[in-house]
Amino acid sequence: MSRINSFLRQPIVVALVLIVFLLYLGEALSPGFATGGQILRLLIVASLLGIIAAGQNVVILGGREGIDLSVGGVVSLSAIIAGNVMNGADGGILPAVGACLAAGAFFGLLNGLGVTLLRIPPLVMTLGMLGVLQGLLVVIRMGIPSGQAAPALSRFVTQPFAYGIPGIIWLWIMIGIVMALMLNRTVFGHRIYAIGSNEHAAYMAGVPVGIIRIALFVISGMFAAIAGLCLLGYSGTSFANVGEQYMLPSIIAVVFGGTSLAGGKGGYTGTMAGAVLLVILQSILTTINIEESGRQMVFGATLLLLMMFYGRGRAMRA
Amino acid sequence: MSKLKLSGVSKAYGATLALRRGDLEVMAGEVHVLMGSNGSGKSTLCKIIAGSVRPDSGRILVDDQPVTITGPRSARAHGIGIFYQELSLAAHRSVGENISLGRLPVKAGVFVDRSELRQRAARYIGLFDGVSGEEFSAEALVGSLRPDQRQLVEIMKALASEAPLLIFDEPTSALDRAQVERFFEILRDLKRRGRGIVFISHRMDEIKAIGDRVTIIRDGETITTLNLNDTDPATVIRLMVGGAGDMPASQSSVPAVVDAERGAALTVRNLSGRGFSDVSFEVARGEILGFGGLHGQGQSAVLRGIFGAGAVTSGKILIGEESFDASGPRKAIRCGCAYVSGDRARDGVISGRPIIENVTPIHYLRDRLMIARPRKLRHKVAPALQSMQTKFASLFHPISSLSGGNQQKVIIARWLIDRPDVLLLDDPTKGIDLSAKADLFALIRQLAADGLGIVLYSSEDAELLGNANRILVFNGGSVSRELTGADRTRYNLYQAAYEAA
Repeated sequence: MSRINSFLRQPIVVALVLIVFLLYLGEALSPGFATGGQILRLLIVASLLGIIAAGQNVVILGGREGIDLSVGGVVSLSAIIAGNVMNGADGGILPAVGACLAAGAFFGLLNGLGVTLLRIPPLVMTLGMLGVLQGLLVVIRMGIPSGQAAPALSRFVTQPFAYGIPGIIWLWIMIGIVMALMLNRTVFGHRIYAIGSNEHAAYMAGVPVGIIRIALFVISGMFAAIAGLCLLGYSGTSFANVGEQYMLPSIIAVVFGGTSLAGGKGGYTGTMAGAVLLVILQSILTTINIEESGRQMVFGATLLLLMMFYGRGRAMRA
Repeated sequence: MSKLKLSGVSKAYGATLALRRGDLEVMAGEVHVLMGSNGSGKSTLCKIIAGSVRPDSGRILVDDQPVTITGPRSARAHGIGIFYQELSLAAHRSVGENISLGRLPVKAGVFVDRSELRQRAARYIGLFDGVSGEEFSAEALVGSLRPDQRQLVEIMKALASEAPLLIFDEPTSALDRAQVERFFEILRDLKRRGRGIVFISHRMDEIKAIGDRVTIIRDGETITTLNLNDTDPATVIRLMVGGAGDMPASQSSVPAVVDAERGAALTVRNLSGRGFSDVSFEVARGEILGFGGLHGQGQSAVLRGIFGAGAVTSGKILIGEESFDASGPRKAIRCGCAYVSGDRARDGVISGRPIIENVTPIHYLRDRLMIARPRKLRHKVAPALQSMQTKFASLFHPISSLSGGNQQKVIIARWLIDRPDVLLLDDPTKGIDLSAKADLFALIRQLAADGLGIVLYSSEDAELLGNANRILVFNGGSVSRELTGADRTRYNLYQAAYEAA
């Protein structure tokens, strides 16, 4: 009995139950909501969010109040860079991928160095970086056009790729497998959990704490860059601050998936479920004609509710 | 005239009796020394007087009037002022404000009377004029001061309470000679003015210099009160140790002589750093070297310094023949140095993670692994845990599901997969049960027999006497005495610790 109970309390199970419930709700509110094609469209958006949340996830797992608020800025920057590098030509895709990953890694590295060497709290460091990126985007936008997605990239994101499923969803599934292996089956993954659980004990056991924390921010920047590239493919052309709306949801998806904001506990599979759940919720809110501002309020309130829910669980266990 | 009298005071925390029967009488115009080893109940007695602990039974009289001390404020109201050993200063406020922190002068009911504050500060700072060091002024921020200067502020704060009865709990630990001399002059002056003073110190020379009478506490009981003029340090220490103190450590379990042929595992020459200076010693392969002495005399600081987790300013360390200079634990681990801390929660346990992940980090580092295959690792982890009879249901259960003793076994097991050459044990049995202790020491001796060089610091004398081949007694950050062979007795250990040679 208690076994069933604890199974039902697992965040991923809760998320999956909620997903099914919300699909039924959507179908009831607006017939056609839960058809195959519609669900695929939802999954494409969920992939974008989920890829960003992968980076957010590892940063949060690393502990010491780890959080990356700059992901939205990196997504926008990456979309702009990709659009200008490929400029509508398929031959530009590979250089664009390289340029985006380099940019994401660079800003992630700055975040990581600020957090480890200068000991700036991640919240402040990445918030500052978000400001820098937003300013940078304004400057860039005045000088150069926003650029066009290459047709192959757009096809990869929006059209069926294999077994009728778009490439970006395959990419996301692949990222999910790689993340699960990395976190559970590599020394690097174990060390992420170790520094997130007890940084000092990890240091005393020979874990290179600083290098790992820097790596986590670099990974987060690179995932945000990949998402920015895919987002360009999804919308065809990059526009103002396209990534900003993903910052808060990327954190909610991680928390929804059962990763503790205190670090050291959780995983990526739950985060994937959390991303799907959030996208369905967003879609339902749109279906019943709730404006963007209203959706933001619902998201913010969701995060606070989750914190109350999980926060109380922790207090009761202690 | 009796300033303070405690009779038959007791205090129990749950099932442990911290103080069985505490008696103490402090007269007006005397410095009364309180002595007892760690855990004898001395600090509990002080806390009862200070009002931070309520006694279960017994009577307290102040000026021959029975009183009930309900809390620190009530202690103050009864004329008791206290110097706290754990510094209780506000780091971001000035020296002047800290001196008056206990009772800020107020005018018009709400405003701090700044001129009175200044005058009062000047009065107490003046007492230590000439010995308080540079940049010591009423305006200086406490956080920017040196440790000895902070301790002076703490003393000034206690003096500023102008209480008829003052308690000083190890007030001189950070002070230099001149500062101590000045402080003692002030105490003598207070004596002349009829104040009662309770003085706690572990330095026998200071006790002789300032004390009038001494009360000795052992195992939660007041043993006796003596006139310091009629006694000598050896008698005082004998009373603190109790019977059987002269019995040499059991020889049966530990070989007293280590095969010198095998050479030194660890050599430390003139090592200095934060909390210790000019420490030199050698550990042979197969030897267990004990670090003894009172708490916090540099034993942990030396061990952490060797491991690269503490500040080392000068000196030389060799592991085997190789020169070794650990910039951090990573380097130390790679060179075959292991360190186990008694503070599991801070230094050891990766809480919330499975047992197996708590054992593997050292193996990952020393074998430069990238991939963690649980099935392969389990064949290395399980034997390491079994060598100490660790009880666990599954390697994949969180470490927090284990008892304290079993958690510590897991932490030690992480050093057993890839054997180190040197094992540093920093009070490793703190807070673990007796059977776990027995398992640990059985393993430690086995490791020594296998040829490891082991350094064992323990706050429990019995553990040192029962396991160490040699014991270095630390005092004030350096080694004051070495005990070998039949000299390894409880009495000698105490005598060296209390500097009563």
